Amino acid sequence: MLGTGLLLYMLSKEIYVVNHETIAGASTLIVLIYAIRKFGPQVGAFADKLNEEKVAKAQEVKDTAINSLKQAIADENKEQWRVEGRNYLFDAKRSNVVMLLETNYRERLLHVYEEVKKRLDYQVNLQHVIFRREQEHMVNWVEKNVIQSLTAQQEKESIAKCIADLKVLSKATHASL
Amino acid sequence: MNENLFASFTTPMMMGVPIVVLIIIFPSILFPSPNRLINNRLATVQQWLIQLVSKHMLSIHNYKGQTWALMLMSLILFIGSTNLLGLLPHSFTPTTQLSMNLGMAIPLWAGTVVMGFRHKTKASLAHFLPQGTPLPLIPMLVIIETISLFIQPVALAVRLTANITAGHLLIHLIGGATLVLMNINPVTALITFIILILLTILELAVALIQAYVFTLLVSLYLHDNT
Repeated sequence: MLGTGLLLYMLSKEIYVVNHETIAGASTLIVLIYAIRKFGPQVGAFADKLNEEKVAKAQEVKDTAINSLKQAIADENKEQWRVEGRNYLFDAKRSNVVMLLETNYRERLLHVYEEVKKRLDYQVNLQHVIFRREQEHMVNWVEKNVIQSLTAQQEKESIAKCIADLKVLSKATHASL
Repeated sequence: MNENLFASFTTPMMMGVPIVVLIIIFPSILFPSPNRLINNRLATVQQWLIQLVSKHMLSIHNYKGQTWALMLMSLILFIGSTNLLGLLPHSFTPTTQLSMNLGMAIPLWAGTVVMGFRHKTKASLAHFLPQGTPLPLIPMLVIIETISLFIQPVALAVRLTANITAGHLLIHLIGGATLVLMNINPVTALITFIILILLTILELAVALIQAYVFTLLVSLYLHDNT
């Protein structure tokens, strides 16, 4: 309202002279308004996009830092959990080792027992052999002495007796047949 | 048409006080330089533009030439902004004054030449003689090359002055013609007005291009001499 009134007043009183500059100004105005209407939003969006990119970059740095720190925390927790579990691992390993030692000990015990048994068996067999030898020797000696003690007379008597017995026996057999 | 055609090119005075210094300093207000990461749209777009232009303009220089980056960038910004602001009605464009353009061109050109002579004396002197000239032509060619070297700053200044002044004059003339023709034959006035619009678009382009050309040539002289 004020603008229109002021403009008309200035025009009528020739305070604002209409000369070639007015026309020049009018043409500049038309070109400027057209350009701004047409390209204004695009330029604004472009400027906003530039700023968005800057903010996004900074945000990305921040997010990456936060994520890496969170990852570090999670890894740390996992390591702590692993440390707790380590005790069970050590117990299992310890009992494993104990079992191995036990088995080894038993094996060696068995080995020792077998060796000792072998030695003792050897002694036993040795004694058996000696005993048998002695027995045989004694039997031989007894036989030898008996045979030596048998006189000729006794031999004849025994042989005659044997023949008589045989005859009796043969007779008995013939009878049975 | 109360004043003559060249009234807009006189030193602007307000009640007898020369305010031309204020007018020259004014465009610097339009380029904010905040220290934040995320700025408003104006600052962001300006930042992006300056980055683009500086990258293109300084890509051909070596390290020594790239120390002139600030000078060249402020040059193109100053000339571009003053030229564009001069298209508004009743405004004064400092770059229409030959005195100012000479004041910009001569020191810059002299700087490049002196730098070239100091650092690469032999190569700078060798510029005076193009390769492969036949022997009898050498003296004349040296004279011609010297003249062309000394004409460079004058050409820079006069080119800028003449282009901007001519553009402004054309706008005023055609504006005046449209104004007069409006009473006589409105249709012709309309055609003239359309011509004026086209001219304004041209002048916008010329404003920017002149800035670019000025800076480019300075950078070219720099490239020769670093």
